[in-house]
Amino acid sequence: MNRALRNPLAFWGFAIIASVLVMALLAPVLAPYDPDAIDVKSILIPPSATHWMGTDGLGRDVFSRMLFGARISLLVGFVAVGIATLIGVVLGAISGYYRGWIDVVIMRMVDVMLSIPTFFLILAVIAFLTPSIWNIMIVIGLTSWMGVTRLVRAEFLSLREREFVLASATLGARDYRLIFRHLLPNSLTPVIVSSVLGVASAVLVESGLSFLGLGVQPPQASWGNILTEGKEYIQFAWWLSFFPGMAILLTVLGYNLLGEGLRDALDPRTNGKGKN
Amino acid sequence: MIRYLLKRLFWMVPLVVGISLVSFLIMHLAPGDITTTEAGFNPKASEESRQKLREIYHLDEPLIVQYGLWLKRMGTLDFGTSFASHQRPVFWEKKDDQGNVTPGMIQEALPITLLINVLSLALIVVIALPLGVISAIHQNRPPDRAITVFVFVGFAVPGFWLALMLMYWLGVVNPWLPISGLHSLGYENMGMLGRLWDLGRHLAIPVFISALSGLAGISLFVRNGMLDVLHQDYITTARAKGLPENTVIYRHALRNALLPLITLLGLSIPGLIGGSVIAESLFAIPGMGKLFYDAVLMRDFPVIMGILTIGAVLTLLGNLLADLAYAWADPRVRRGVMR
Amino acid sequence: MPVLPRTFGLPCAALLLMLSACGSSQQTTNTSTDWDHTYPPASGGTMIDAMTGEPSGLIPMIAGESAASTIASNIFNTLLKYDKNLELEGELAKSWKVSPDQKTITFTLKPGMKWADGAPLTSADVLFTWKLVTDDNTRTPYGADYKLVVKAEAPDPATFRVTYGQPYAPAMDSWAGLQVLPEHILKGQDINTTSFARKPIGSHYYQLGEWKNGERISLVRNPNATQGQARIDRLVSRFIPDPASQFLELMADNIDTMGLSPIQYARIFPAREELNRKIALYKELGNAYTYLGFNLKHKPFDDKRVRQAINYAIDKQELIDGVLLGLGEPVASPYKPGTRWTNPKLRPYAYNTEKAKALLREAGFEDHDGDGILDRDGKPLAFEILTNQNKQREMSAVLIQRRLKEVGISVNIRVLEWASFIGRFIKTGEFDAVVLGWSLSLDPDQYGIWHSSQQAPGQFNFIGYNNTKVDRLLEQGRLELNPDKRMKIYHEFAATLLEDSPVVYLFAGYGLPAIHKRVKGIDNPAPPAGIGHNSYEWYIPAPLRRTEISAQ
Repeated sequence: MNRALRNPLAFWGFAIIASVLVMALLAPVLAPYDPDAIDVKSILIPPSATHWMGTDGLGRDVFSRMLFGARISLLVGFVAVGIATLIGVVLGAISGYYRGWIDVVIMRMVDVMLSIPTFFLILAVIAFLTPSIWNIMIVIGLTSWMGVTRLVRAEFLSLREREFVLASATLGARDYRLIFRHLLPNSLTPVIVSSVLGVASAVLVESGLSFLGLGVQPPQASWGNILTEGKEYIQFAWWLSFFPGMAILLTVLGYNLLGEGLRDALDPRTNGKGKN
Repeated sequence: MIRYLLKRLFWMVPLVVGISLVSFLIMHLAPGDITTTEAGFNPKASEESRQKLREIYHLDEPLIVQYGLWLKRMGTLDFGTSFASHQRPVFWEKKDDQGNVTPGMIQEALPITLLINVLSLALIVVIALPLGVISAIHQNRPPDRAITVFVFVGFAVPGFWLALMLMYWLGVVNPWLPISGLHSLGYENMGMLGRLWDLGRHLAIPVFISALSGLAGISLFVRNGMLDVLHQDYITTARAKGLPENTVIYRHALRNALLPLITLLGLSIPGLIGGSVIAESLFAIPGMGKLFYDAVLMRDFPVIMGILTIGAVLTLLGNLLADLAYAWADPRVRRGVMR
Repeated sequence: MPVLPRTFGLPCAALLLMLSACGSSQQTTNTSTDWDHTYPPASGGTMIDAMTGEPSGLIPMIAGESAASTIASNIFNTLLKYDKNLELEGELAKSWKVSPDQKTITFTLKPGMKWADGAPLTSADVLFTWKLVTDDNTRTPYGADYKLVVKAEAPDPATFRVTYGQPYAPAMDSWAGLQVLPEHILKGQDINTTSFARKPIGSHYYQLGEWKNGERISLVRNPNATQGQARIDRLVSRFIPDPASQFLELMADNIDTMGLSPIQYARIFPAREELNRKIALYKELGNAYTYLGFNLKHKPFDDKRVRQAINYAIDKQELIDGVLLGLGEPVASPYKPGTRWTNPKLRPYAYNTEKAKALLREAGFEDHDGDGILDRDGKPLAFEILTNQNKQREMSAVLIQRRLKEVGISVNIRVLEWASFIGRFIKTGEFDAVVLGWSLSLDPDQYGIWHSSQQAPGQFNFIGYNNTKVDRLLEQGRLELNPDKRMKIYHEFAATLLEDSPVVYLFAGYGLPAIHKRVKGIDNPAPPAGIGHNSYEWYIPAPLRRTEISAQ
């Protein structure tokens, strides 16, 4: 981590993510208004000293909603990627460790999932299940584990042949010990990098779903749905799209810079394999 | 080479079955069906007619029978007709008794989406290659950093936000480009060049937006690939031989760094066929994304399944082509050293 | 102009600039044009509008969606139509007569009418259309009204006669809704699959010019039109799914008309002088109302006091101000405000939290555990409002949620996409409350919505309303053909409904069409039927036409 942060891009990425995290955690303290407080007498007021980021179509304070919206963006990112990583690591480990028919089956599953356009899949499932923040996270998670699976499997396949693994195997180490003591810890680097990059994508997917009206439920705020409300008045109530747009941009940028920086720092070969 | 091809083709069979199964099962997650869409919620409509719709579309058959009917059709590339769009064929055109040809839905939408995506992929490669090379040459110095930040900003900006601003900026404030649609009103009366020009102007913003978001992936891939290659022995040798730096980079390094790019491009094919739901509705482009989204909202089963299946199969073919291209380009594979 | 776009003009790639540079020469917009100047009527020109969806076909009884009926209504005629004051008048019919026993209606058609292809249009076509819509093999949801006809006949080319089993008051309205199709083309074809849906032949002002899938439909004037000649040569409907893009197109003068949102109407237009110079705004009576409906089979909504309390606790004026920016009216009868069926004596429940709390207390709800939420028998008064993806309904739900919280009711909101909404919750009856809209049909018969017999899954009384008095009134209303007596019945029906409060009427929003000022001849202010009633008289003076244009 330290090494990564000496890379200026990774540092800035980390700084952005950290500040978003702080804002999200301290939202109740920092927010000047209740994010759901409606005031039909002050609809769509431009930014001013009283409303730093203006108000929305129901007179709610955009700044307060942005702060609380940060929580949603972070949550979606972390949980969705958490699910994807968990599935990916488990399947990848099984595939790479046991090989044989189970490897074939899992890899075919990966191929099938990879050949179906992911956003279509997410769209269909979200539309059919009732949209809620949890469903969104689960579905994003369930449709984005393939990259991690391939990464972990590849690492396992190569690590298995390494001396220290072969040595413990010869000494009679059990499967789980081999997997958890030797193989897994040594294949985590690319997984971490790809997870950080995955969070960035998840945040964008959430904003896309909000655009289609399949995002979080009202009155809850997310950056995606503030931005979507703003799209109709982009030439008039510019603040309604500018602030969430910038927030999404910076956050996604932050994750990407951090991820790329980690890759550079943690992986001395700086090879480009294991993209997702 | 032939054996390799046959083997790859053989492996596609279980994949195709898997795909058909996945798409079919996902459709039936849905409790709603065709009879519950807009037409079905008018106070003058009667329940019997809805029941009638269900029977006509076999929606009351057990799932396994519906899947059977579906699988049978897939074999003959007959994806049926749309529930929602007055029986339009889902995939390819059909002729009726009077000789009227009804064009297929995917037949019309796919070329549009492909055109946009191929153009944007071409644009990506054209921009990303030099960016990646420059990045690699100046590794960890300001040009590299600037390029990295730039391509990531392109990836990170919410596409529809940027799109709306460009539409406003280039379509309303400075009316230079059309805002939405594919063709101008007088399109029929234009000459060949005029038509191309018209289409190009309509596609300019959509292609630009789509290319911008894809820049990061490819340019970083090229950068990292170049870095890999630049550290290899034969490059050192070439340099030691006293070859000019440009020759080393463009003749020797880039060529080898490009090889894996073929695979990556193969992997980006699902995106090529998929099309963007959001961009297509924003720009009023009748492509695959819009078609799919409408079908989902209408619970138009044959269209949803048709798109998922045809999309996936084309993707598999694309991957196969990419692998073959790779095999053809890489002598080790060609000679059967690697599987 | 906000500072924003400047910042984002930057990432314009070279390609964009190149493609856009030459485009500017084609622009014909003349900033000095005086769009308000008056011109004498002239025929010619093209009017372009935008629709969010593409019709599936142009046979309205099969297609069903609103895009289809909008376009088809320019192509096909009906026997009767509503005039600008919403009174029935003949369209294909010259006159009609109701028999003394009120069971038989005889229509006499206008003489010498033709289809667009020159073939004569006769009562045989009307009979053919009736047979189609009542045929069990026709996949139409609109057959129910016409199936009540026990005998339909066309004794001579100018006469069409229908006989009902018993008097049916909504009959006239139904004949204003059935678009007549040509027998000579459709005979022997399967109406469900015929390619006629994609290249229709009609008899109204326009005929299909070109249909470019996914892009647009162009209609051109029908030289054989039965109702005379329209003035505008060509109507183009472009399919632009996103309203934000539609508005950009309107601003850029690429389309002539669209329906505005309240914010566009009340906020953007007043702030933009240049838009007002070239675009005129209109305000029409809305044709739908929005309501909060309760699942009357669920506790506590079976208790009238709870329903009334919620009605009192919701501030309708706040909804109209907040959701519609004042561009709407409160509703107290389920009919178009200002029409004869609306009971003028009724007023919506006034916003009164004290009354609401008192009623809830009476019903046994009090805050026993001090958590701010009322409860009864240990159960908190909490429910979920479902609605579909409609911005105004979503906002209404949010405002309602806030107001109900003030009287101690906890509300949760769930927004669903239409198909799941209907299939999963409405049909199964698994919901507490919904925010939805009903369209305000011109005939007062609302048997399907409120009669207790209409509660089966998929029928429209999905809230489970069961009131013997309302049932009786609805049955009477169907049999009564005398307009004054009928009016009395429906006034009483509306009063009963309001008192019983099975739904809370929220508002009826105005229709807010914006039309480019190059289009002249539009009634302003809009008559009850809306501005579209005389669209065939609209015209575009030659100097104001788009230079037809780059097309040459």
